[in-house]
Amino acid sequence: MSRLLKDYSGPFDPKFSHDMLERETLLAILKENSDYLRKLDGQWYVTVMRACGNDVAFECDVRIWEKFILYELKNTTRLLNIYGDDVATVVKAMQATPWMWIHDRTFELVNSNHAIITYRNCPTQVYIEKEGSDRYKQICHVLERKLFEMTAHYFNPRIKVTALKLPPREKGSKVSCQWEYKLES
Amino acid sequence: MAQQRSDYSGPFDPGFSQSQLSRETLGKLLTAYSDYIRKVDGHWYLSVMKRCGNDVAFECDSEVWEEMAAYTIRETCRLLDIRGDDVETFLKAMQVNPWTLTYKCKIELVNKDHGFITFYDCPTLEALEREGGGRWESICNDLEVRLMEVKAHAVNPKIKSTPVKLPPREPGSDLCCRWELKLER
Repeated sequence: MSRLLKDYSGPFDPKFSHDMLERETLLAILKENSDYLRKLDGQWYVTVMRACGNDVAFECDVRIWEKFILYELKNTTRLLNIYGDDVATVVKAMQATPWMWIHDRTFELVNSNHAIITYRNCPTQVYIEKEGSDRYKQICHVLERKLFEMTAHYFNPRIKVTALKLPPREKGSKVSCQWEYKLES
Repeated sequence: MAQQRSDYSGPFDPGFSQSQLSRETLGKLLTAYSDYIRKVDGHWYLSVMKRCGNDVAFECDSEVWEEMAAYTIRETCRLLDIRGDDVETFLKAMQVNPWTLTYKCKIELVNKDHGFITFYDCPTLEALEREGGGRWESICNDLEVRLMEVKAHAVNPKIKSTPVKLPPREPGSDLCCRWELKLER
């Protein structure tokens, strides 16, 4: 096997492919692509909001993410062999999604049927705070709640998702939101 | 160095990160992320089109991509240490950018200032062909023509991009579009 590349400096290689890159570089690209996906989605939201207003942008956002979250979960679980129907499985899938690079989160697994997930300094919330609007009411209170529920119900419709903390955050606090996942036996 | 995981089967790990995954698994995730990017973009277009019509969707798409196209090339160059201002530099960036893994393309370098990119079986064109409304005229023959130029100009504003072949494609042909990139000195 030829030596793996750290980057793509040097001359053009007509046979170049990502397979030629070393592990650390693939990881760096993966991280960057995760941020790229967030940026692209945000760019679309803001562009539609400017052209058609926030209600239309939010409506489209909901429609897209309701579809996409299921596709993403199907892919993540297939690629990483994550299967089960308890809260531990849900948390494992959430740890492994493309968004893991963007969010500062902690996952506390109390037991395999009970977990607390805490998000800190969420970039979307920080953006909305800077914007000075109350769009967090739609994005965080409505859409994110729905997406967290859909994520849990993908594995088991009996898992209950409760928001313990939602925006706006208290002054000086890093916590953006906190969720409890529980499966009552 | 800790052992690398090929997947995330087994028990919950509070410290799980994609950085624990093997090179092969990172490669698979990278391909999936490339597909996510294309899907999120496509879903946004279709959602806005359903809600507000194709003219508004196309207008938003153009605005989003006139912003994102140059960013894509610049970020790719930064990440992979691709430096220069010639056609070779641009073609290298096109080989590595986040979209590459979703598209089948052939990139030919004639000399440092002259090259060709040919796209085959483009999933976007295939979707537009299935839809049957002739949207390829605005997406491929208008927007993509402008965007190829924006991308090339992110490397050097003097690079000239010429579409050699554009949709519609001939029956039975897998060739979707072909571009010539040239820098006159």
